[in-house]
Amino acid sequence: MPFFFYSFAAIAVIGAICLICFRNPVNSAISMVASFLGLAALFIGLNAYFVGIIQILVYAGAIMVLFLFIIMLLDLKAVERRQRSNPLFLIGGTVIPLIFIIQLCIILPQVPNQASEPLALKEAAGDFYDKDRKPDEQSEIYQSLENGSLPDVHLVGLTMFGHKDDNATIKTPGYNFPLQIIGVLLLVATVGVVALSLKKKDPLPENSEH
Amino acid sequence: MPAYWLEATVVALGLLLLLMEAFGSSTDKELVRRVAIGGLIFVLVPFYFAVTPSPDNAELNRFYVYDNWAIFFKLLALLSTILVLFMAYDYRKVLNQFTEDPGSDHGTGEFYALPVFACAGMMWMASARDLVSIFVALELVTITFYILVAFMRRQVGSLEAGAKYLILGALSTGFLVYGIAWIYGTTGTTNLPEIAIVLSDNQSDLASSPTPLLFGLALILLSLAFKVGAVPMHIWIPDVYQGAPTPTTAFLSVGSKAAGFIVTLRILDPFFSSDITRTQTTLIVLILASLTLLVGNLAAIPQNNFKRLLAYSSIAHAGFILLAIAAWHPGNEHSLSTRQVVSLYLATYLIITLGAFFVLVVVRDSEGSDDISAFEGLGQRNPLLAFCSTILLSALAGLPLTAGFIGKLLAFQLAITSAATTKVLWLGIGLGFIGVAASFYYYLKVVRSIYWRAPRTDRTIAIPRISRFAIVSLTLLTILFGFWPNPILWVIGG
Repeated sequence: MPFFFYSFAAIAVIGAICLICFRNPVNSAISMVASFLGLAALFIGLNAYFVGIIQILVYAGAIMVLFLFIIMLLDLKAVERRQRSNPLFLIGGTVIPLIFIIQLCIILPQVPNQASEPLALKEAAGDFYDKDRKPDEQSEIYQSLENGSLPDVHLVGLTMFGHKDDNATIKTPGYNFPLQIIGVLLLVATVGVVALSLKKKDPLPENSEH
Repeated sequence: MPAYWLEATVVALGLLLLLMEAFGSSTDKELVRRVAIGGLIFVLVPFYFAVTPSPDNAELNRFYVYDNWAIFFKLLALLSTILVLFMAYDYRKVLNQFTEDPGSDHGTGEFYALPVFACAGMMWMASARDLVSIFVALELVTITFYILVAFMRRQVGSLEAGAKYLILGALSTGFLVYGIAWIYGTTGTTNLPEIAIVLSDNQSDLASSPTPLLFGLALILLSLAFKVGAVPMHIWIPDVYQGAPTPTTAFLSVGSKAAGFIVTLRILDPFFSSDITRTQTTLIVLILASLTLLVGNLAAIPQNNFKRLLAYSSIAHAGFILLAIAAWHPGNEHSLSTRQVVSLYLATYLIITLGAFFVLVVVRDSEGSDDISAFEGLGQRNPLLAFCSTILLSALAGLPLTAGFIGKLLAFQLAITSAATTKVLWLGIGLGFIGVAASFYYYLKVVRSIYWRAPRTDRTIAIPRISRFAIVSLTLLTILFGFWPNPILWVIGG
């Protein structure tokens, strides 16, 4: 649905622009979260549920917490006045994106130009959308797909965890294994934030004005 | 016992350590340190009994593989973590000085628990066979390192290193994900064996226009260059190595690098095996290798700080390993395969580099400085330490009859064998020889200050028990593997 694509793309791009334009680092970090959320929505729109969820869990969650933490740790204040920027930064900032744009321009024409297909929700539902079963054996997902609505929660959950059929062999393999690694990853990030921001018992002299 | 229980055991050990950290004494972390080391050594026991998981488990086998590569690199991850924890044990005084409450262990418990989680991440990386599982395992290791690097939070250098590593690490992750997206877009899968099947078809659409695929590969390689410390993503290495606590630096330069290389080998395997992409892949890797050899070795020459010197040395060694990868060779009865050469190089590199870092921890603890000038007169102040550092430094340079020589010899041999068909490899070989010549200069500069400079004080340097044991045994292994590397080859397998 182009409307959703453009609105979420706009959120992602506006978030990225705000990230650069805000003077206060905390505001920048929050606009980065907005940009990540837009991106995650785009991924989900492309049927890439796993990547979309990871985008939110890991990036909008863990990485952003680390970023905010570093900002607070280093006690970065809003930049008071615009500093004269180094011309080298300007040149670097133009040349590197230009290289990427040129690369994209070279490669994109080589990609076969196909009309974008509508979201293949029924295909993504895998075994949960099985026309041959009796109506009373159908899953909730089948019902919502037949009604033309998104079986969002169920579909996302089942793409993540896979699904066993009656013979208990996995037909639709899920992403259980990477998901568990991410569990450890989030634990480590949380522990790290706590470990690094543990409150000092007796503050250092230079912090005593607080 | 199926192999995936190994990682589960390591993670369980990490959780146990966190619980002990939280509910045990807040000023004395002796128990946490001991359980961390003992627990990881204990994991070596089930390692012996681990078997390949059953092929029926389709979901697991899509992401996880337990083959010779995985066994070797899991072992490497475990051993380097154990040695790093030993090093952290002797580094505790310096660590305490820059954390919560100088004089007690307050707030340092996580420093001994987090490497265990990083170890689990590296073991998962060794087994990953899908770009998705590679990505998540890599992130687990990287995020753990963000914390370990910034751990001495009352020292500005450590914080600065942490911030730099965080920002550049996030950038390289961006490249990785972008590259994975391009590869998924062109091949329609993230699974490496399936990518190999797609690439083996010479008649497909992909064969006529492989540019998008190579664009994705280049982005992934750029991000892996960050992990293994190759040019052009090497900029973080000197600052982060210098600022981070020394055990973290050692862990970064050994564990993180080895895990990065196993992932590089796994990702590059289908690309080197395919007729469509072989030439271009060789060229990309060769360019990375040549630049890395040049920058790593030449920039090391003017260094005055031993930790920075080891940082540039770590870049230079990455260059030699990349040269072996560029000379991709499946191996036959006459010569070793690239995988065996890289594994052997990394194993010898682990022994020598960890030895050098142990020496540094002892000198840092006694002198309060990481500079090369702190080594002056070491020959008179502690002959044993001086002798061991001399052996380790010559091994880093690649002196014959040390383990470092075998690794470099095999890397060059492989490159020369492959250069018979791929002429462009001679460029890398030439730069490699220049690099070796330069490395003799900068490593032996340290040896010169050990023996030919007058000591600043007459005070002898005492070596803590663990460090002495580690330094002596690592030095002996360096000499042993110098003329008899067969034990490593037995573990690597055919």
